[in-house]
Amino acid sequence: MSASGAWMVSLVLAPLLAASIALVVGRRSGPYAALAAAAAIVCSLAGLIGQLERHGAAASAVGGWGSPLGIQLHADGLSVLMLLMSALVGVGVTAYAWGYFGLARRRDEPFNAAASRARESFWPLWLFAWGGLHALFLSGDIFNLYVALELLTLSAVGLIGLANQRTASFAALRYLLASLVGSLFYLLGVALLYGEYAVLDCQRLLELVQGTRATTCALALMTLGLMLKTALFPLHFWLPLAHGNSPAPVSALLSSLVVTACFYAILRLWCTVFANAGTPGAGMLLALLGAAAIVYGSLQAICQQRLKMLIAYSTVAQVGYLFLGFAFLGRSASAVLAWQGVVYYALSHACAKGAMFLAAGSIMRSAGHDQLEGLAGIGKQLPVSVFAFGLAGMSLMGLPPSGGFVGKWLLLRAALEAGLWWVAVTILAGGLLAAGYTFPLLERALANRAEPWVARRVPRGMELASLVLALCAVALGLVAAQPLELLEIGAPFQPLASQEANP
Amino acid sequence: MAILKRTGFAVLVMLLGAGAGAAVLSLPPEWNGLSDTVAARLDESGVTNPVTAVLLNFRGYDTLLEICVLMLAAFAVGSFVSERRSAGLGTGRGAAETSGQGHRGVELPIARPGRVLTGLVRLLAPWIILVSGYLLWVGSHAPGGAFQAGALLASLGVLIVLCDHRLLPRTASWLRRVLLALGFWVFAGFGLVPLMFGQALLQFSGPAAGWVILGIETACTVSIAMVLLLLFVCNARLPSLDADADRARGTGA
Repeated sequence: MSASGAWMVSLVLAPLLAASIALVVGRRSGPYAALAAAAAIVCSLAGLIGQLERHGAAASAVGGWGSPLGIQLHADGLSVLMLLMSALVGVGVTAYAWGYFGLARRRDEPFNAAASRARESFWPLWLFAWGGLHALFLSGDIFNLYVALELLTLSAVGLIGLANQRTASFAALRYLLASLVGSLFYLLGVALLYGEYAVLDCQRLLELVQGTRATTCALALMTLGLMLKTALFPLHFWLPLAHGNSPAPVSALLSSLVVTACFYAILRLWCTVFANAGTPGAGMLLALLGAAAIVYGSLQAICQQRLKMLIAYSTVAQVGYLFLGFAFLGRSASAVLAWQGVVYYALSHACAKGAMFLAAGSIMRSAGHDQLEGLAGIGKQLPVSVFAFGLAGMSLMGLPPSGGFVGKWLLLRAALEAGLWWVAVTILAGGLLAAGYTFPLLERALANRAEPWVARRVPRGMELASLVLALCAVALGLVAAQPLELLEIGAPFQPLASQEANP
Repeated sequence: MAILKRTGFAVLVMLLGAGAGAAVLSLPPEWNGLSDTVAARLDESGVTNPVTAVLLNFRGYDTLLEICVLMLAAFAVGSFVSERRSAGLGTGRGAAETSGQGHRGVELPIARPGRVLTGLVRLLAPWIILVSGYLLWVGSHAPGGAFQAGALLASLGVLIVLCDHRLLPRTASWLRRVLLALGFWVFAGFGLVPLMFGQALLQFSGPAAGWVILGIETACTVSIAMVLLLLFVCNARLPSLDADADRARGTGA
């Protein structure tokens, strides 16, 4: 097996093995297992990027059988950028969770069964999710993609249920049901494709697929199922409750990584399997839904009274940007530019949204609640967290110099080139609306407060973790050239750009 | 309003169903899939049952991840259930102090174990173990394998738990957890060996392949049985266990 193949295997198996060890040893081993996994992931990712820069996109046949009998792992610029995203956010959240859950119950803390359950269960679940993410990003096979999605979904359900509230169990169950429906739709699509072409490998399917009736049906079913998992408006009904009521590190993971990963699955399918079957009309429909999501999610976010619900609705809005790229199907010149913008936006959104939820968690820990009304003057208590929140908001608004700005800029340029003025207007309006839901907190945080605070202490590591993630989101605006160069490896969007006019 | 919503959903589902039906009808009627390709390379896989060859060798990576999914499922369900009933995976620490938050499971309509049940289980247990072992062994050349054997073994576990509700709490927590993870560890361990010799992950070929697959399947059988048993125990509110917990809390049953 080539070196790049070994790095890919390590990216998938390191977190899964760490998860199983944390599960078996229990007690206090979780954080250390996560630390070991994080170190292995960072090293493997560096190794993989080095290999890809030298040799271009890599495929690796697990089991040595290759297509059509076996399964291929596949890594190109798109998967590497997603892996980079999961490494950045994953390390940040791991550091934050270390402080959030604590290593063990402090002496002065009364015993709380739910807290100790969350403290023990978080680590294996998060490590399973991390492994699932990597399996998803590296998969080159539509059935293997399904297995990776299952791994990701099940661990996400467990993570949502960690919060000790009735709403949490309810939210987790609703997410499970919505997600299972999505999975079944996806699986039905896989069955149809296998029935038609007797192949499961993405690259092989790219060559074989034609716009037959079964293929169109599979395209619709798989996209619909994954849309449900990505929470694209109007299928977002499960998201605010699930993301708004979880423990802070979990909310950050779900909103920045899990949602983006499900979007990645759609993008990967449309770039490979369905490159010749996706019609511009269907793409336009997805993009219109994305635009509606931006407007609806932002307006809902502006109306929220609770900070975490506000951020959760902001995710509903930000998911919309990711789907704007589908408006460019069949416009070869601007399509690549638009998809670069979308992927770059996904990367910076993940960092910014992770930072926002983590900062909100620190604020909630300190104030004991997250009602916006009662947060006046929090800036004096938690200057670092409020600063992180502000920086992350800057990236969501798309102000320069931030990663969000670069992503929106690329999308805007593509929209103007292609003459899609409504896409351009939506992007600009979405930025203004993002300001509308970021400023209320900042305004209250900087206000003076008459009565004194009764604030709980927040571990320094938690505040720093959110700040570092927010700085990453900003830094992505300053060093855009290198990530965009990485994205070029293997030209993942080429099949879409060279797509001929729809038959 | 509710009726409108329901009608809307019904129409949507029917449209989807019609679309999927039409798509299925458009598929080629004479269809072999990959079975010819599998048959052509069956000799290299180390087993003669095509299903086992696909699951454990050709697409072993999928199965490796699936074993992981099973382990995760048992753990996730356990993390939902309150520690109060520590029969699941909980370490049992402080089980008595808990005030019973979280999901409490479904009360099973189980009578106290009588002589008939205990006697029957005593009679069945050796046979179930024997048949489970046979299914595991036969998987290499006929229908069978780790999943079937594990399911059968789990049924024995369920029967025993019904006879003696405190069996699982009495087994050490670490043992339950190790058995749960064993399948994944053995699978990943055997899978990583070829990687060290410059081959691909999970590349099982040559004369040893059959034995490697049998080893993996044996470990997976144990883990699958453990997963199913834990799912049962976590969800069933076993009467005597609750009574024990109540007694421990001093409230009385």
